[in-house]
Amino acid sequence: MAGIEELSPAAGPVETRPPEGEIDEDEDEELDETILERLWGLTEMFPDTLRSAAEVTASGSVTVAKKLYSFSRAALWVGTTSFMILVLPVVFETERLQLEQQQLQQQRQILLGPNAGMSGGMPGLMPPAPVKM
Amino acid sequence: MGSVLAASSPPPPGSGVVQGAPGLVSAPPGFSMPSVPPPSVPGQPAGETGSPLPNPGTYEECHRKCKEVFPIQMEGVRLVVNKGLSNHFQVSHTVTLSTLAESGYRFGATYVGTQQTGPAESFPVMVGDMDNTGSLNAQVIHQLTSAVRSKIAIQTQQHKFVNWQCDMEYRGDDFTSAVTLGNPDVLLGSGIIVAHYLQSISPALALGGELVYHRRPGEEGAVTSLMGRYTGNNYVATLTLGGAGAHATYYHRANDQLQLGVEFEGSMRTQETAVSFGYQLDLPKANLLFKGSVDSNWVVGAVLEKKLLPLPLSLALGAFLNQKKNKFQCGFNVTVG
Repeated sequence: MAGIEELSPAAGPVETRPPEGEIDEDEDEELDETILERLWGLTEMFPDTLRSAAEVTASGSVTVAKKLYSFSRAALWVGTTSFMILVLPVVFETERLQLEQQQLQQQRQILLGPNAGMSGGMPGLMPPAPVKM
Repeated sequence: MGSVLAASSPPPPGSGVVQGAPGLVSAPPGFSMPSVPPPSVPGQPAGETGSPLPNPGTYEECHRKCKEVFPIQMEGVRLVVNKGLSNHFQVSHTVTLSTLAESGYRFGATYVGTQQTGPAESFPVMVGDMDNTGSLNAQVIHQLTSAVRSKIAIQTQQHKFVNWQCDMEYRGDDFTSAVTLGNPDVLLGSGIIVAHYLQSISPALALGGELVYHRRPGEEGAVTSLMGRYTGNNYVATLTLGGAGAHATYYHRANDQLQLGVEFEGSMRTQETAVSFGYQLDLPKANLLFKGSVDSNWVVGAVLEKKLLPLPLSLALGAFLNQKKNKFQCGFNVTVG
């Protein structure tokens, strides 16, 4: 225990070796550094400009990601509610109208035969044929 | 509310708008002249030398075509029952249930006289309605001569008179001028005078001006504004510039189902501007009329009107959402008859 020196973060990567050759467990207990701090210490080998640039980039990208997330949430809500108010009723009504017209056409077909009652349908596709009972 | 300057703004929503019976002029009991048949098509060739310019219509009507495309904000439930008692007389009952304002009942009556000046117009027209609290709105519109039309309107809040105004409009061959006297009070020496003048410069272009003079004991003031309106093939563009601000509207008819309107409003008093875009979709086959609008104040709104056909019933659903303040308002109207 007496042989272990206090490590300061600015000292650079240092290999600690207990002079008495104690077991690893004691080493880990007596060291005042966690694994993360040791890994952080490794970054000190890079020059300052690189470190500050990396820090700015990292924090900037975190901010951008947060803003993007909140913006996309708001945009999705605004878009959905506006679509619901402005467009959806018309879509419902036109679909209903189409269905009704289809139904009417089907009824007319059943009632009057397959060729009659095709108002506005494809002209000339099926030549009119006499209906045989 | 209720100021004479409201004569240029759209009539109050739904309150007793008369429709349906033949031969009736739709005259909402607000402070605006009834809509008159549109002026003759610009560019129509005349059979005389020096083709005459068409009458440009009234000053208030210029922005109205665009404003009619926009939906009105509805809140609560409203039931309107219109009954025509004869060709000349129509009665309406309105029950309003609302969360934000007072619920009430309103009785309205419309009488249309026998002097017929056109296929859809008869005079005199008397419109009145009374609230369950005793507030009365009444208008009498009469065509005095073939070119002069006059209107008297009063509005009371319970027993107190809030608005009383008299209006005279002269229609010349290619110009229209109108004078309105609002809330004249001889004892106090107060009142408002509004003068309008609109002149056709060419079959498509009309220019006009408005002068508002108001006077109260101790202060008086005047506001002027100029207006220009250009009518194209399927569009109408109107611009009003005045002491109170600028107001520009553009109305476009895309096809017989879709009409668009863009409105820009800037006010000097509050130093604010607003742009709104509105559209109206008309599907007579589905008995549907849909109006939607988007605003620069982040307000989105729409009104859906549907005629439930075997019965003379029509249902209107409206929703308005203010995205910024996250406030929502919806309502529906049922109209019988």
